[in-house]
Amino acid sequence: MKKVMIGNHAVSWGVLRSRVEVISAYPITPQTQIVEALSDMVADGSLPAQYIKVESEHSAMAACIGASIAGTRTFTATSAQGLALMHEMLHWAAGGRLPVVMADVNRAMAPGWTIWTDQNDSLSQRDTGWIQLYCETNQEVFDTTVQAFKLAEAVNLPVMLVLDAFFLSHTSEPVDVTEQEDVDRFLPRREATFKMDTSDPHAFGALVRPDAYTEMRWHQQEAMREAREVFREVEDEWEAITGRRYGAVEAYRADDADLLLVTSGTITSTARHVVDQRRAAGEKLGLVKVKMFRPFPTDELRGLLGGVNRVAVLDRNVSPGRGGIFAEEIRAALYDVPPDDRPILFGYVLGLGGRDVTPAVINDIIDNTRSKASPEREDLWVGVEL
Amino acid sequence: MSDHDVTRPKEIGRNIPPIAISETSTLVNPTGSWKYIMPRYEDRVAPCNAGCPVGIDIEGYMYLISQGRVKEAANLLVRENPMPAVTGRVCHHPCEHSCNRASLDEPVAIHSVERRLGDMILAAPPIPAPERTRRETVAVVGSGPAGLACAHFLARLGYGVSVFEAASEAGGMLRLGIPEYRLPRAILDRQIERIAGAGIEIRTSTRIGVDIPWSDLDVFDAVFVAPGAHTGKDSRIAGAEGNEAVRPGLEFLKEVNAGARPDLGSRVIVVGGGNTAMDCARSALRLGADVTVLYRRTPREMPAIPLEVREARDEGVGFEFLAAPMAVVMEDGRFTGITCQRMELGEPDESGRRRPVPIEGDVFFAPADTVLTAIGEDCDLSFLPESVRTKWGLIEVDPVGESTSTPVFAGGDAVDMPRSVADALGAGKRAAIGIDHYLHEKAGEAVGELPLGALRFGDGNVSAVRYLEDGDPIPREAPVNEVVTWDRMNPHHFHLAPRHEDHFHDATDLRAAFGETNFGLSEKEAIEEAERCLNCGVCNRCELCLIFCPDMAISRREDGGFEIDMRYCKGCGLCAAECPRGAVTMTREGI
Repeated sequence: MKKVMIGNHAVSWGVLRSRVEVISAYPITPQTQIVEALSDMVADGSLPAQYIKVESEHSAMAACIGASIAGTRTFTATSAQGLALMHEMLHWAAGGRLPVVMADVNRAMAPGWTIWTDQNDSLSQRDTGWIQLYCETNQEVFDTTVQAFKLAEAVNLPVMLVLDAFFLSHTSEPVDVTEQEDVDRFLPRREATFKMDTSDPHAFGALVRPDAYTEMRWHQQEAMREAREVFREVEDEWEAITGRRYGAVEAYRADDADLLLVTSGTITSTARHVVDQRRAAGEKLGLVKVKMFRPFPTDELRGLLGGVNRVAVLDRNVSPGRGGIFAEEIRAALYDVPPDDRPILFGYVLGLGGRDVTPAVINDIIDNTRSKASPEREDLWVGVEL
Repeated sequence: MSDHDVTRPKEIGRNIPPIAISETSTLVNPTGSWKYIMPRYEDRVAPCNAGCPVGIDIEGYMYLISQGRVKEAANLLVRENPMPAVTGRVCHHPCEHSCNRASLDEPVAIHSVERRLGDMILAAPPIPAPERTRRETVAVVGSGPAGLACAHFLARLGYGVSVFEAASEAGGMLRLGIPEYRLPRAILDRQIERIAGAGIEIRTSTRIGVDIPWSDLDVFDAVFVAPGAHTGKDSRIAGAEGNEAVRPGLEFLKEVNAGARPDLGSRVIVVGGGNTAMDCARSALRLGADVTVLYRRTPREMPAIPLEVREARDEGVGFEFLAAPMAVVMEDGRFTGITCQRMELGEPDESGRRRPVPIEGDVFFAPADTVLTAIGEDCDLSFLPESVRTKWGLIEVDPVGESTSTPVFAGGDAVDMPRSVADALGAGKRAAIGIDHYLHEKAGEAVGELPLGALRFGDGNVSAVRYLEDGDPIPREAPVNEVVTWDRMNPHHFHLAPRHEDHFHDATDLRAAFGETNFGLSEKEAIEEAERCLNCGVCNRCELCLIFCPDMAISRREDGGFEIDMRYCKGCGLCAAECPRGAVTMTREGI
């Protein structure tokens, strides 16, 4: 069934199809439409779920955690300050190994007060133990929502699917909504590994002594490691049903390229357009889209970027005092590539607080990357210093 | 160099569970030992129950409806009120004035629900007549709401009952005073048939003191006197005496209600601001007259039911406020109208209403063909023996209606109490209980004090279900006879829902139409309206206590109620705080 819908509603439809049992959320622009549509679905009975209204995002995640411990499939959505307010609870969900799925509509952090997109809200939660998947189109948003539950429940880790404010959340695109019976085949009812059972009560999240804490974190890391392979299997299964797959990392016209752009989110679509144009003019230019940020697809990136002459990483985010976060992560990943294969890496910081990243901007970046022997510094601020 | 690789977890490490879950069961952690206060389920009294002069478990029947137990709801209603189809139509519903829901949005339309249940009861086959279990007999004088209620409850208590009615048909003021458009005769007849059908003898056209002497009642073991108030007060209009154009309104109503259609001429003035005045005005309107109500105060002070005033106004009755009739005006021996005195409001009088004071010299002429006076009625108590003491023309009685002359009891408009159908029904019920208690005592059966306080809903009227102990369909949890006010409730879990308003006739054309004007609510609407009830003070199994208990110490009992596992209740009080209706109390008792 094809429908034209905004990205937010693509999330809602994915949640509906996933037969989520408990939803708890607190409204925040630009996410609100996701849970608005879901509350309608719950109210009219099309989604037989419990919708728990709460007074803050912290409580929303707490409610999801409780519901997840009770064995249900749970979902929430948020943005920016809301996600920041959840921070403590994000650790509880991940450390509790609860397969909560959350949509984060990327919105820049205040102050200055803003509702427009950048990735600093989700990337600030990098070390909470959540799987993070960044989406480029509304179709990908729908597909990733359904996949997120499958992945989360297979490895007992929470998954955050991420989409850009307004460029996706409020923009309409055609979305092929997979039929319910197909989704049911792909995603059966959750079978919880650890579940609160009133007939055999146990304390969850209780005190752990130094002789066991490290092991618990090791288990979490093993699950993250496993998630890379599980995600491939999830995509295989989804592709068999729908014919669509995205990959943790996608290479676009990357063969024989001497310069590769690295993007995530909606900047990718614009970059594809620029790559097509410059390829037509004979330029050996390609693109690598990073969908999965945690667990980090280190091997895939080494394979794709190793041996390429130059790499330009486009970061719609910044770690103050360092630089673009994807660029830093990729630099670290490439450290183990043999020195001769290490590309010259240009890290561009751009598009913060919703500033538009147009084909002209990307063309400037490509020209700059080609014209310099090496970057002057780790962080190149597009539109400010460039 | 050690053969152990520090980067590989040891076997023991692999055996640590991936999440922090206790190895032992937490059943062994009795958090209940922490508490210094503990919750207790205690059902209280909803303000509607306490506010009902009849003593109806309104909250109880609303709860039963919300559970889909409509028949049981009707049954609970009729066990407290023998004529719900009547009161659902004509009661001034003080229950709605005390409804806590008014603080949330609008009060529950209790009268509409009662009416719908009342009509259902009339449509269903009657319940079997109560068994005669007592040898004593009781006489009831008057078959108005007080008399019929008393007779009904006495019959249920097992007595033989004979009702004496002066008029040719039973019903008292319900039949004589209330017009058909408010209370269709078919409804009234069936309601009375139902009551009489339970083995009650009604002797009509039998006025005590005229048709038979008072001494004829000596054969009865007790007498309940409820003759009503039928004598219109003197209008004090100069020149009115003997003038046929100035008539007591009640007399006119009795004529119309008996089926007559007297000619009042084209212009009618009704004097008064109570329900009788409204009934006169609207009846006269239906006979084709232009009607003006003359009232000496303002709309705020009118004792009539506001809805009656609104309907009268909608139908075209005119109002002349702050005006009092002075004198009849005759021209050529023909009545042409009355002169009226303009009034203004002065200091409040003993009723708390501001006293009307004449404005010197401000007099006007109001043309009329007929003047109907409706300024109150007095009682004719001349048939009573002197031993039954009266005060200001009313019989003196104790709380259960016992007069100064045992075994004479009294109630209704002939005693000092609000003059309403509901108050009359309530007085009849109280007196039946009083008579039952008296007759048990007289028969030498050990009965002790009548526990009147415990029989009442809060400080309201008595409950027949409680007195008869014939089974409350709703199990009450440790009932406490205390009314729950809005401040004891937790409104945060309630949803706003508009009140269902009755459907009314088209008021634009009603000349000579005595058909019912208020059609009430449909069954579906009435059920939805009942679901608006907040069940103040009474556990309606909403489960919020169970949901909010952080220790999962609350669980469902088999009977639908809840139990608290005190081994785990740590006394946090969340259940009491979250309970929307004040049915959970925190206490130190028992710790």
